[in-house]
Formats: sequence, structure tokens, C-alpha cells
Amino acid sequence: MKPAYPPKLLMRFFKWFCHKDLHVYVEGDLLELYKERVVSLGRRKADMTFFRDVLLLIRPSLIRPLGGYEFSGSALFFNYFKTSFRGLTKNPLSSFINVFGLSAAIAVCVFGYGFARWTYGVDQFHVNKNEIYLATVLVDRDGTLQQNGRTPRPLGKMMEEDFTHIDKICRVDDRNVIVKYGKKVFHERVRYTDPEFLEMFTFPMEWGLSSSLIDVNSIILSADMSTKYFGYENPIGFDLLVKFDEHNQKTFKITGVAKEFPPSHDIDFDFLINYENLKVSEPLVDHSDWSSLVTATFIQVNDPFDLTLIEGQMDKYQELQNEVETDWAISSFVFERWNGLYHKSGTIRNDISTGSDSNVIAVIYITAVSFFLLMLACFNYMNIAIVSAAKRLKEIGIRKTIGATKKTVMMQFLVENVVVTSFALFFGVILGSTVIIPWFEDIANFSMGFTLNDPALWLFLPSILLFTAVLSGAYPAIYISRFQVTGILKGSLRFGRKNPVTKIFLSFQIMLACIFIAIAVMFTRNHSYMAERSWGYDQDRTLYVRVKDRSAFEQMQRVMLQDPKVILAAGSRHHVGRSLGSIVIDKPDRSYEVDLLKIDANYLETMGIQLIEGRNFKENHTSDELNVIVNEVLVDNLKWEEAIGQVVKIDSVGYKVVGVVKNFHSSHFDQKIRPMIFQVADPTEHRFLSMKVRGGDQYEVYKAVQQQWSELFPEIPFQGGYQEDVWGRYFQDVGVHGKVWRGLAVIAIILASLGLYGLVTLNVTGRVKEFSIRRVMGAGLTSVGNIIVRQYLLLFAVALLVGAPISYFLIDFIFEMAYAYHIPIDFSGASISVLLLLSLLFLVVLVQSRKISKSNPVTGLKVE
Amino acid sequence: MGKFQLGEFEEVVMLTVGVLPKEAYGVSIKKEIESRLSRKVSVGALQSALKRLEKKGYLKSYEGKGTQERVGRPKLFFEITAEGKEALQFTRKTRNELWEEMLNLALDVKYSSQ
Repeated sequence: MKPAYPPKLLMRFFKWFCHKDLHVYVEGDLLELYKERVVSLGRRKADMTFFRDVLLLIRPSLIRPLGGYEFSGSALFFNYFKTSFRGLTKNPLSSFINVFGLSAAIAVCVFGYGFARWTYGVDQFHVNKNEIYLATVLVDRDGTLQQNGRTPRPLGKMMEEDFTHIDKICRVDDRNVIVKYGKKVFHERVRYTDPEFLEMFTFPMEWGLSSSLIDVNSIILSADMSTKYFGYENPIGFDLLVKFDEHNQKTFKITGVAKEFPPSHDIDFDFLINYENLKVSEPLVDHSDWSSLVTATFIQVNDPFDLTLIEGQMDKYQELQNEVETDWAISSFVFERWNGLYHKSGTIRNDISTGSDSNVIAVIYITAVSFFLLMLACFNYMNIAIVSAAKRLKEIGIRKTIGATKKTVMMQFLVENVVVTSFALFFGVILGSTVIIPWFEDIANFSMGFTLNDPALWLFLPSILLFTAVLSGAYPAIYISRFQVTGILKGSLRFGRKNPVTKIFLSFQIMLACIFIAIAVMFTRNHSYMAERSWGYDQDRTLYVRVKDRSAFEQMQRVMLQDPKVILAAGSRHHVGRSLGSIVIDKPDRSYEVDLLKIDANYLETMGIQLIEGRNFKENHTSDELNVIVNEVLVDNLKWEEAIGQVVKIDSVGYKVVGVVKNFHSSHFDQKIRPMIFQVADPTEHRFLSMKVRGGDQYEVYKAVQQQWSELFPEIPFQGGYQEDVWGRYFQDVGVHGKVWRGLAVIAIILASLGLYGLVTLNVTGRVKEFSIRRVMGAGLTSVGNIIVRQYLLLFAVALLVGAPISYFLIDFIFEMAYAYHIPIDFSGASISVLLLLSLLFLVVLVQSRKISKSNPVTGLKVE
Repeated sequence: MGKFQLGEFEEVVMLTVGVLPKEAYGVSIKKEIESRLSRKVSVGALQSALKRLEKKGYLKSYEGKGTQERVGRPKLFFEITAEGKEALQFTRKTRNELWEEMLNLALDVKYSSQ
């Protein structure tokens, strides 16, 4: 019979974890027991009990001590801590560089964490976020499927009747109204919605009940609106007058106020009223009309399987829809899960979500940037640790002589590193939460809702600590612990000065700094470029006012034209940057969607839009009813050789092209200019009054418009302003990019220069004898400086030669992704950063060589 | 009190070592406890108790010879030290006192309840 022997692997495992003083005896016991059991219980059972016995042997008193037997417990560790603290206070310069550098990088990491948490925390407070779906339609537009977030009005009601799998349905339709309470009158947006809305989206309530929406006479306010109208008073039970239009108004009773929305939210509301009120406010709306659309239709389905069932049965709605809307033939219905929709909302047109993927992209950038900054700081640490080990050679030598092994020296350096990193973590969290995050919130104008009271943060921070400690500490620890005692004590060990690894680290640092600076420069230049870039029309001298109807328009136009400062006034149905129509041109082979501006004869001139071909509309509006003006993009897209005289078909009516205007930005700079058609607006359609004023008089005219408005229409809030403010927010965004990158570049420069300064200083102090001899032999400031510079010049050259092209391509990549139109990419960013870094090097060297040439060479020679 | 502290399992282990003169090592102690108290004892629990008692100075150990079935691994024998004996006696004494006290009280209770 084969001698019974327990599983080898378990035996090895036992040997590994058991205390070495015990393991022979216990092993004997285990073997003895095993053999007996094989006989009495059989092999399998014996194996099992053996396994159990081994596992139960894992006890603190029986296992090997952590970290090896040489450690006599805590005393050694205590000693390491003591030397770490002494080291920190003894070399204030390098400690400062290390702690400050690491904490700056960690602060950026904390910021990155906060930003990511904010981005991914959107709408996470809704209990049903995973069960709610937004109904969307796919529409074939020019051969590509366009997803649209607005859905036919009857859809919600019909689905509710047809499907039993759907738990809840709610429709949402937004309208602009005037809300009045006492003397407070404002334009507001109300959401008409089914009472289920507040059951599906679980907004916490400050006062009142969310279920009260079931009453058609009740209105629910957001916290902001409650404060706007009632201050901090509890408004429950108060009456609020809502004017739907001039003939139609209704008084609502306030039955609920939502709590302040969390900083990270997508869907929200100002005012909520019952959907049934649409019948009061707009009696003409046909609720069974498939061509009429609502803002959103939500369904709640608890079982994802039911959703596939429902999606499979949507065909009949599609047919209903396509019967009435031939222009907007739907290819299919798609249900988008609410959780996560925020990030893909950019690809869905007109959907209720305000999100986009830009924040997700930003998270990726910030993660990459924080990682690189952390690397920068770690390289600083490594360099300084390696170079300053030269000063500690004797300590290491003595430690090794009295019995320290490679392992213990390594452990010592790792402990020191953990001490430094912990300090850095502490300061980094403070720096991040009190400086960087508030700074960012200030320039980006939003609240991240960052809090230290967040369990995930306290998982994140230790992992950062561990990551940083290992990244920065492992190499120096291994490197230093390898020194031979004899070499150290004989003094024959030469090192630090010519360590190739230090040089690689430094060049990597310089490279990263170069990239950061180049990107920051380009973003800053791009910002001013964008702000100065022509919009293609005159923004500076134009003001606009929104009016409610023809008579209001005519009254305003009359009074404003009396003002000598107003050169020209025009009326329009749409307005650049404020309201844009959309229309479909029928081509024989396809339908082609374009933007639409309905204007009068003065509009182009008032707005400064340049006509490059053909003529403008004539004063008499009826004569141009069948004529259109188009922009250059449309001419290019339709590949017309000669635009004037071409006919476009809209709703089977032919329109003749009489003019072509130069391209201008009717929407953000980050969107390509789209094809556009101008039609003549009937005077009854005028909703905007635009005015061209003399340069310098904008402010006075603005005041005058407001003045006239409040005299003519005291009941209606004023809506209008400077044309250049229309896109103000966008420039702020572009400006934020520049500011953030500048901030990061500043941190990168500080880190790189600290590292460089520390390294050069340590290097020079290590060679103090050499320099003293050189000085005695007659070397001056320049020759000493030359010697130091020579050491770093090649390294800089290599780093910058690699860094500059990388930054060029990186900028190209980022800009192409972020902006549709941007500053032409050139080497200006790279060259500025190269110059900056080179002057940094010379400055550091200058400071050091001056110090040498000022000092007495005799003291330098005396240094041991 | 406080001078001698013995846990229940520790006490059992000490006593078992006591009844196995010159024969008390891991396996024999384990078997003795298992057969006398009819309860399972894991090697780990026993070893850590032995180690603890040795650290307290109640037991001392010496190395024996390896045998065939132990594949040559030596046995580690245990015996009770003088201090260990004291500890055991102390424990026994306190237990006895408590027992007597309780029995007296039990009698009193019997009388008074009648």
C-alpha cells in the first residue's frame, strides 16, 4: 500500500503560515492524526478533516509574525517612525518638496474623485431610477436614424390602456407661462404632468404632500421657486395665479414644496401642475392627435423582460403615427432607461434630459491628469529619496553591520515613505476640499456637493495612499537596501550623482510639465480666439426684445424708433440664438431638414448678416411670400452651381431662392454651421424686435427699452437684452476649460520646479568639495554654472524633444474632440513651454552657482 | 484572584496533561480530552492553548523522539510546572469554596421554603 500522505499543497501552506518554532511538532501531530484517520475513516474523510485542522490552525498565536522573524515586534517600527520624523525635520527643504508636491497631486485626485462622483451621482437619489424608461422615437433623417425624445401626445394614454405590464406611466409637457403672486410677476416654465410623476421620480418634499398633484387645482413648487416668491415662509395653502395666455388664467393652491434638489441631478421642475390642466389652458389641443408631441413620456416597468415584450408590440403605434405624419415617419420606438440616460442624452434630440457626455469625457481627462500629476510628485519623491540617501549612507551602513538585512532596510524606507505620504494625504485632502474644489465650483459656477462624510471617499483615500506609497517608495527602498556594507564604510561607494534612473525620472517629469504647459497655453489662446472670432454677424450693436403679439410688436417698434440712438429695427418670428425653426425640404430622393428663420425685410441689415448674392426681401411682405434666402452651407450641401433661381420644395410648394447670405453662427461655436433658410414672416407672426444701435449707446438703449416696456406692459415681465449675451454661457464654458488647464499647469510647473530645485541643490551640496577646489583654482560664477548646467542640458533637450511633439498631437486630439471650430494648432504652446522650462533650469542653476561663488571655499573644503 | 487565571479549556488541558505523566503531547492530549469530555478538539485550539499556558509559565515543554508514523517529526511533550500546580490548586480551592457556599444556601432555601 502506498504510504498515506496528506495533500502536499496544504502541507506547504501550513509550513508557510505556521510559526517556525512550532511547526515541526505540530506537523508531527497532524501527520500522526492523519494516518490514523486514513485507517479509521478512509482517505477522503481524512483529507477533509486534515483540511479543517489546517484552517483552524490559522490563529494569531500560532502563525509566523508579519514581516519576518527578525523583527522584534513594535520596537523596530517605533524606531523607524522616530527616524522618519527626525528626517522630516532635519531636511526641511526636501520634506517640504515631498509633502507639498504629493499633497498638491493628491488634492487634484480628491478633486477628480469629487467630480467623478458628482458626474456619476446624477439622479441616483430616485428610488426607481432603474425601472423608469423614457420613450423615444427613431426617425429616418437623410439616411441616418435620429433619436428624438419628444413623443406623440396620445401615446401615454393608449399604452396605459393596452399594456398590463407597465406599472406606471406619466406624460410631461412644458409650457411657458406667467406666474403672479401679489406684486411678483415672472415668466416661468410649468410642467404639466400626471400625478404618477412624483411617484416615479422620488423627489423628497420639504412641505406638503407629493400625492396632492392628483387634484387639478393644486400646484407643487421647487425649493428655489418657493424662495423666489415666498422667501423662507411655508407657502402651503397660498394661492398662485398662473396666466397661460392673455385670455386664460387659473388660480392654483400650493400643496407641496420639494426639498432643494441634490447638487447632482438631471430632471427637475419649477412648477408642477396636473396634466389635465392642458384642457383648460389650451382647449384646442387635440389629445388624440398623433402629430402633436409632448415633452416626454415615461413608463415604469419593474421587470426588464416585460420591456422587451412591450417594445415588440409598439408597431401599431408606429402605424398610427406614420399615417398622420409623413414627414416624420418613425422607424421604431425605443425605451431608454433613465439611469445613465444623462450621459447619452447628447445624441437624443429634444429629450427632457439636460445631460451630455461632456462630463464623462471630463472625468476621463481629470483622471488622466491627476494620474500624471501624481506621477510627477512621485518622481520628485523618488529622485530626492535616492539623492538624499547619499547623506544617509553611514546610517544604512551601521544598521546593516548591527544586523539589519536587506528586508529590514527596505521596510525602514517604506515606513518613512508611508509617513510622508500620510502627511501628504492629510494636507492633500484639506487642500482639495478647501481650495481646489471651491475654486473650480466658483469658476464653473456649480456645486459639486462634495463632502468628507462619504464612505466611498474613505475607501478611495487609503487606496490613493497605498498607490502613492508603493509607486514612490518601492524603487528607492529596493535601490538603497542593496548597498554593500563594506563599500559604504570604506567610502568607496560612489552614487547618487550618476544614477541613470534619476535622470530618466527627471526627464519624464520635464516632459509631463512641458505637455501640461503647452496644453494650458493653447486652451488660453483658444479661449481668446473664440471670443474674438467673428460670429459672422454684428453682435455688439444689436439688442432684442421678445414680444407676445403683433400689437405689442408694433407699439414697441414705434416707441423705439423715436429714439435717435436706434438706427434700425426689425421684426421676426425667430431670432438668432433665441429661437430657431426647423423645416423639411423635399428632394426627389430624400427629405432634407434645415434651420428656419422667418424674418422681415430689415432683419438681415439689423443683425449685420451679409448678403453675398442676389437680393434681400422687399418691404412689401406679400411679394416675397414664395421666395427664400439661403446660407452658403445649404448651397454647398445641395451642390448648386448657381444658387439664385433654384427652387426648393417645402410641403409640396415651390420656393424660389432670391439671395444667399454669408455663413454665420446661429448656434454654439462647438457646433458646425448648419444649412438655413430665411422666409418672410407675416407681421402677425412677429415675436422678436431686434434693434441696431449706434456704437456706445447700447447701455442707454437697453435702459430705454426696459423703461418703455414697463410703461406699456406693466403686467408682463421683460424678456430681452444684448445680442452678445445670448451665448454668454458658452464662452464661460470655454473660459472654464482655459482656467482649469492653467490651474493644472501651474501645479505641474510648481511640481517640476520644486523637483528640479531639490535635485540640483542636493547635487550641488554633494559636490561641494569639488566646487570649492575649482573655485580655489580660479573658477568663477559662469564656469561653475556651466558645469552644473551641462549635467542637465542634454536631459532637458531629450525631454523637450519628446514632450513638444506629444503635446502637439495631444492638443490636436483634444481640440478636435471638444470643439468644431478652434484655433489652428501650431507649436506656440510647445515653444512657450520649452522656453519656460529652459528659463526655469537656468534660474535654478543661477541661484545655486551664486550660492557657491558667494560662499567661502575654505568652509566647503572642510565639509566631511 | 487575579494572580492565577485559567480559562475553562485551559484548565481542562492542564488537568489532562496532569493525568498523562510523560506521555502528554499534542495527539495524546487531544484524544484524552475527546474521550473523557466527549467533545471535539481541533489541533489549532489545543496548540494555541498549550502555547498560551507555556507563556504563562504553567506548562513547560521538552522535545521527544520522532517515530515512524510521524515521519520522523519529534513530539513536543508537556508537563506541569510548580506554578501550574499552584494555579490548579488555587482554581480548585475557589471552586470548592463556591460549591460549599452554594450547597449551604440551597439547604437554607429548602428550610425556609417549608
